[in-house]
Amino acid sequence: MKELLVEIKDLECKIGDQEILKGVNLKVNKGEVHAIMGPNGSGKSTLSSVLAGNDNYEITEGSISFLGEDITEMSPEERSWKGMFLAFQYPIEIPGVSNINFLRTALNERNKFFGDDPIPAKDFLKMVAEKSGLVGLDNRLKNRSVNEGFSGGEKKRNEIFQMAMLNPKLSILDETDSGLDIDALKTVANGVNKLKSAENATIVITHYQRLLDYIVPDFVHVLNDGKIIKSGDKNLALELEKKGYDWLTGNTTK
Amino acid sequence: MITDKLIYSSLVRGDSNTSLDLLRKTPFPSRKDEQWKYSPLKKLKKLPFINNSGFSVKSISTLNLPKMNGLILVLENGRVNANLSEFHKINGIKLSFLSSSKENDNPIINSKKENYFSLLNSSYLSEGISIEVGSGFRVQENINIINIVSSNDSLINTKLDLILSENSSIHIRQYFLAHGKTTNGFINHNNNFIVQNNAALVLDKFQDLKNNFHISNDFIEQEESSKFISNTFSMSGLLTRNDILNNVNGEQCHSELNGIFTPFKNDHIDNHTTINHYFPNCKSYENYKGIMKENGVGVFNGKVIVHENAQKIEAFQQNNNILLNDEASIYSKPELEIYADDVKCSHGSTTGQFDQESIFYLRARGLTLKKAKELMILGFINEVIQKSENSDYIDFILERVLEN
Ligand SMILES: Nc1ncnc2c1ncn2[C@@H]1O[C@H](COP(=O)(O)OP(=O)(O)O)[C@@H](O)[C@H]1O
Ligand SMILES: [Mg+2]
Repeated sequence: MKELLVEIKDLECKIGDQEILKGVNLKVNKGEVHAIMGPNGSGKSTLSSVLAGNDNYEITEGSISFLGEDITEMSPEERSWKGMFLAFQYPIEIPGVSNINFLRTALNERNKFFGDDPIPAKDFLKMVAEKSGLVGLDNRLKNRSVNEGFSGGEKKRNEIFQMAMLNPKLSILDETDSGLDIDALKTVANGVNKLKSAENATIVITHYQRLLDYIVPDFVHVLNDGKIIKSGDKNLALELEKKGYDWLTGNTTK
Repeated sequence: MITDKLIYSSLVRGDSNTSLDLLRKTPFPSRKDEQWKYSPLKKLKKLPFINNSGFSVKSISTLNLPKMNGLILVLENGRVNANLSEFHKINGIKLSFLSSSKENDNPIINSKKENYFSLLNSSYLSEGISIEVGSGFRVQENINIINIVSSNDSLINTKLDLILSENSSIHIRQYFLAHGKTTNGFINHNNNFIVQNNAALVLDKFQDLKNNFHISNDFIEQEESSKFISNTFSMSGLLTRNDILNNVNGEQCHSELNGIFTPFKNDHIDNHTTINHYFPNCKSYENYKGIMKENGVGVFNGKVIVHENAQKIEAFQQNNNILLNDEASIYSKPELEIYADDVKCSHGSTTGQFDQESIFYLRARGLTLKKAKELMILGFINEVIQKSENSDYIDFILERVLEN
């Protein structure tokens, strides 16, 4: 029996006067991997950002529910506590804040929400050692300021490291493959696969089918101009790889 | 004018009549004066200052200061509060209070460095501390000097004269505080430091004077191969003004001026600094961080002057600011004047607001909005705060910054 994790209904949003999402529908069950593909500017990052609760975007229509609860108006932090995770396409640099302190604060804020005690230093460090190994994060990066001076690939690994530490129910990976060479891509994909279980789900946003060789999706959706215009299984990704998007979007002016 | 209203029993002795003469000839500054362009003195000028010497601070623990090691010297309303102080003899240090010293105080009036407030100070001195560190003594204990105003409308003129002899070192912590609900008091302070060859001085200044005035004129003379580090943490004040004049009079010196200032609700905090490089082969670093909130106003005017023949100078100056809301403001003016040709200097200033994407990133990882902002503030001041190597003191500053 499939158990619904997240349901997006008729979602529309805008920023300023610009409409970006124009009616997105998507259901993700526990244990599933969904890939969202689509041309540049089609709204993939916007969708992931809105899912994570970025209120720079104004939701004008529709709803998002997560584990049976309507979260359309919920703060980003509460979504995070309840198991939502977004690996950013462009991870943010936070100068002066150490990676480790940041994560510890994040975990403890969640514990506080659930009425649990702060995580003991020893357990925390053990967890850091284990999870950073999983994604091959360079030891020196742990104590550096969050993402500051990290290479593109290091930033992406750091995102997956954070994901491993927070152990979310829904992980949204926004173009995690961009900026990774093939070895890094394999390590990161391997890390993601190890974290997969029957209890959680993953939404993989990507431009290229390459990543999907390693993180194999159950479903593939094509987002275009703020709407999902086609869904299928993993073969859809292969088809897109061969034919491009134009045959779907009706854009022939290439 | 303040001086006309004074019915004053001050410690004016010896040559200080000269400073009184000079003071009489010096006009009270106004905003037309380049040095006071951004800081209004109207209110200060109008106040009916009185000279009050009563004590009302019952114990030092009510001040919520960090753990202190070493000497604790408490001045309240310009008088030594011996009950709150902790004296003992420290090897290598000669320490005296002007009020109990038999010698005449002969302030060195150097007309080049004097201004209205430094002259007001030496003309109407309430109390002064004089410290001499003997040659070769590297003092492990701190000297903590707590300077409190606890009486409304009182004018307090205090000073610290400090000589570090060759090869000596010391760490001084000054606290300038307004007690309880005190309003419109004025602590007008002078620091006169001489750092001789190969000596090292660290000065931490903590200033928290909500609803009160405070001006500190710091004059530092450095000799060859000496080191001077000043960390200024200015939390609040109706007007808190630091005038630092750091003259580097020898080669191979290291000078560092760091600061964090956090004006909020009706506060005005002004940092004016000048570093004079007269000799070659020296390094100076200046780093001030401002966090302005509500209608708080911050001012940074830092000047580094590399004089002719002062070759191979490395001088870096930086001022970064965050405005937490629309009513807050900052005037930032970093200045470099270079008259030598073989130098490495830079200066810069940035002012911004919290980056919304950064806040979202932190919240998406589970930090509340409040925690996310706190973490951003900690990150912002981190490089400056780490200059104080004592973790009790660092925690104390962090806590006070976040409280604001
Ligand atoms: N913060 C923003 N401000 C203005 N326009 C935006 C913003 N975010 C996204 N957009 C616009 O929305 C559209 C979709 O962008 P995005 O979601 O980043 O697409 P994708 O991730 O699919 O490349 C683009 O036209 C982009 O310019
Ligand atoms: Mg994108």
